[in-house]
Amino acid sequence: MYQSWLKLGLDKGISDLEIYAVKNRSLKLSVYQNKLDQHVQSQVTSVTIRGIYNNKLSTVRFENLSQINVDQMLNQLIENAKALTVVEPAIIFEGSKSYPVVEEDKFDFTSVPVTEKIELLKQLEQGILSNPSVAQVQTTQYQEVESETTLVNSKGLNLSRFQSYAYAYAIGVFKKDESDIQTAYDIKLAKKFSDFDVEKMIQTTLAMGLAKLGGKSLPTKAYPVIFSNEMFSDILNVFGSIFSGEAAFRNMTSLKNKVGEKIFDSKINLVNDPLHKEAFFKVPFDDEGVACSQRYVVKEGVFTGFNHNLKTAKIFNTEPTGNGFGGGVQMSNFVLQPGNTSFEDMIKGIEDGVLITDLIGLHAGVKTISGEFSLQASGQKIEQGKIAHPVKMIVVSGNFFEMMNKVVTLGSDLKFNLSGVASPSVLIESLMISGE
Amino acid sequence: MLEKNKLQILLEAALQTGADFAEIFLEDTASSVIRVMNGEVTSIDRGNVFGAGVRLIQNTDEVYGFTNEVSYDAILTLVQNLRASFSGPLHKAVPLGEAKPYVDNIKRPMESVPVSEKTAKLQKLSNIIKSHDPRIVQAIAQLIETRQKVWVANSEGVYQDDLRTYTRVVMMAASSENGLMQQASEGPGRYMGFEIFDALDLETLAKEVAVSSITLLSAEDMVPQVMPVVLHNGFGGVIFHEACGHPLEATAVAKGLSPFVGKLGEKVGSDKVTAYDDGDVESAWGRLSFDDEGKQTQKNLLIENGVLKGYLIDYRNGRKMKMTPTGSGRRQSYKFSPTSRMNSTYIAPGTDKFEDIIKDTKYGLFAKKLGGGTVVPATGEFNFAVQEGYLIEDGKLTKPVRGAMLIGQGKDVLFKIDRVADNLEFGQGMCGSLSGSIPVDVGQPTIRVSSMTVGGAGGKK
Repeated sequence: MYQSWLKLGLDKGISDLEIYAVKNRSLKLSVYQNKLDQHVQSQVTSVTIRGIYNNKLSTVRFENLSQINVDQMLNQLIENAKALTVVEPAIIFEGSKSYPVVEEDKFDFTSVPVTEKIELLKQLEQGILSNPSVAQVQTTQYQEVESETTLVNSKGLNLSRFQSYAYAYAIGVFKKDESDIQTAYDIKLAKKFSDFDVEKMIQTTLAMGLAKLGGKSLPTKAYPVIFSNEMFSDILNVFGSIFSGEAAFRNMTSLKNKVGEKIFDSKINLVNDPLHKEAFFKVPFDDEGVACSQRYVVKEGVFTGFNHNLKTAKIFNTEPTGNGFGGGVQMSNFVLQPGNTSFEDMIKGIEDGVLITDLIGLHAGVKTISGEFSLQASGQKIEQGKIAHPVKMIVVSGNFFEMMNKVVTLGSDLKFNLSGVASPSVLIESLMISGE
Repeated sequence: MLEKNKLQILLEAALQTGADFAEIFLEDTASSVIRVMNGEVTSIDRGNVFGAGVRLIQNTDEVYGFTNEVSYDAILTLVQNLRASFSGPLHKAVPLGEAKPYVDNIKRPMESVPVSEKTAKLQKLSNIIKSHDPRIVQAIAQLIETRQKVWVANSEGVYQDDLRTYTRVVMMAASSENGLMQQASEGPGRYMGFEIFDALDLETLAKEVAVSSITLLSAEDMVPQVMPVVLHNGFGGVIFHEACGHPLEATAVAKGLSPFVGKLGEKVGSDKVTAYDDGDVESAWGRLSFDDEGKQTQKNLLIENGVLKGYLIDYRNGRKMKMTPTGSGRRQSYKFSPTSRMNSTYIAPGTDKFEDIIKDTKYGLFAKKLGGGTVVPATGEFNFAVQEGYLIEDGKLTKPVRGAMLIGQGKDVLFKIDRVADNLEFGQGMCGSLSGSIPVDVGQPTIRVSSMTVGGAGGKK
């Protein structure tokens, strides 16, 4: 089918074109009050075609795969390409010399009966509910996804990758009294069904929720701050865009003229590591067909260079780095390399500080260009080297670029989040905390 | 897409094994995003969302399935897979009725306007921003057009189609001085076609975006403190959206995950607060004629003079709560089962004058423009970012401040609203929740909250 679409496009005068198709199957189950509450199944194939017409690149995305619609979409692609005024490199790639071999996750989740999946959720829910501090479990969810990505183009490239995974979690609502309600959840990702360890999931969720109860605000002032590994990963995820070659080209990053300069504390090593052994998803090639490989973005505090897709690499007269994702430039498995201090030792030296284990509203409280952030947070107060009591309803504020120069200690507890960003816990010398 | 008689047969088939409600949702959506950067047309992307979603309910248990293969056979297979989850007696589907007409007053649909006319308008806006000041390094104007065609048929005889036309113009300025970069943006949207360019003064707005990004270069970091906050009209309404709108949705109420559960008829805010959610504000970004369950949208009173009057209810949660749906069943696309959502949510105008509110505030923060925010319905805690703010000192606006973050508790903030002006306006946003990302209006006149926690990076380090 795809080959005939390529031919149709070429016949219409498109000089080169590429089809990126994702075929997705998924099953989602949710349990509420020991009963199956929702069951969602899906099968969707979505297609993106990029084409070059008059040396201009334009994109169409569609789900109506009928011949009539494909024809219309290709016509639209041509119309849109004609309307572009910008002069920028337009490239469809013939392929990299070689590609890394990645072991594909092929577990067939459909081989496990649905009743067994529902049973897992019921056990998870009831296990959490059995704790007296749990008022209820808001929802308990399981989702499995199988996705097959195909990339074919008129230059003869023909690649595919396959993924199969599932995840499950329960959102516990913990309550001490009417004025102290907290929620907690821990998403467990699995490559095969037997990876789910219900007892462990129950204990993790309970530990997270119970630790939050009894929280209070703090006096407003600057404190030494530890971000948990998960929270620092979330922050790095948001700021990943400052290393994008697209952002550099568009004047949308303050790192624009800083390649080769020391931008962060010399303890900082940031690696774009698509094949990292601990990553949940290993990526052999990007959405433009460029082979992925490991690359330092920041080495010992020095900015080594932007991430590039085909277009921005050409503009900056360099090689693409395999970061062409989602029509722009993105990271795939972005790692802040850990130090060798255990979490316990990290806390020991702190007289009066804050451990942040939750950040809310990362989409709104961060300005990636200026580096400013101001975020609702909760976590634990640290006093005399020990966890003292939970804190909530505080705001942590600062500037990312300044903060990365005030890193005191990197923990040894590297952890990947589901977006493919990994970080250890990080101690920052001082950040402003707003509270009472 | 599929003939009515075929839909009828599919609905009958869905009810054979115990389900007592079945619904088929069909969608064919076209969208386009045109982007102009520093005067150049840099990208035009075209999108199409196309597929079918099938929902079966037995009592309050739900199964949902979706596919982009829209044919009688493919949907029948889906129905058969879904109904296998239920067991019980056969139910009959009510014969499908006649579709009611939807409001169709779009003057210039996306397909009828040449791309060159669209790009010319955007280039003009981008140039206005760029030429305002040499410190502006990037000037973006983006046109986002969506035409969503949907059909809903259910076993209670509802057969309804709707065509939603949304157009939005997003403008962004990035400024740079001495290594410091700032950005400002505006994104007005309407239930309109290309006539949005006639209906709104976008050129003046482009200028304002440029001015705003330059102002931020000289703004000082917000010094964290607890203080009175004046929230300006329009997008300031995001406070009500986050802090009260979401907890009033049946998704939160039906599970008891909201501070407003069981409070109908009780005082939940100060006397100054009256609030609505309206699915049918003319030409509004958050409007649609019929919701995604085929029910006509309506104006819902939520709070009157501080007393809780109603929730936002979808079909399934209506069953759980034994209450009538309010035309609030929405979803991003066929890939989501519908649930209770907001449309155009706003605090009704009061009698104060904007100037007086500022004049009567000895010291506080004037939040002129807000960014996004978040709420956790179960805890009621919310936060939202101030995009453009000024200090109020002795009743006058003084220094611009940046990086302010407001946090609070939904149930407290409603009681702390002590002034409400007469200048109601709407702001537009995309709201994300269980059933995906949908266009909504947030709205309010200028209001004052007597005390809020304001976070920021300023002050003694």
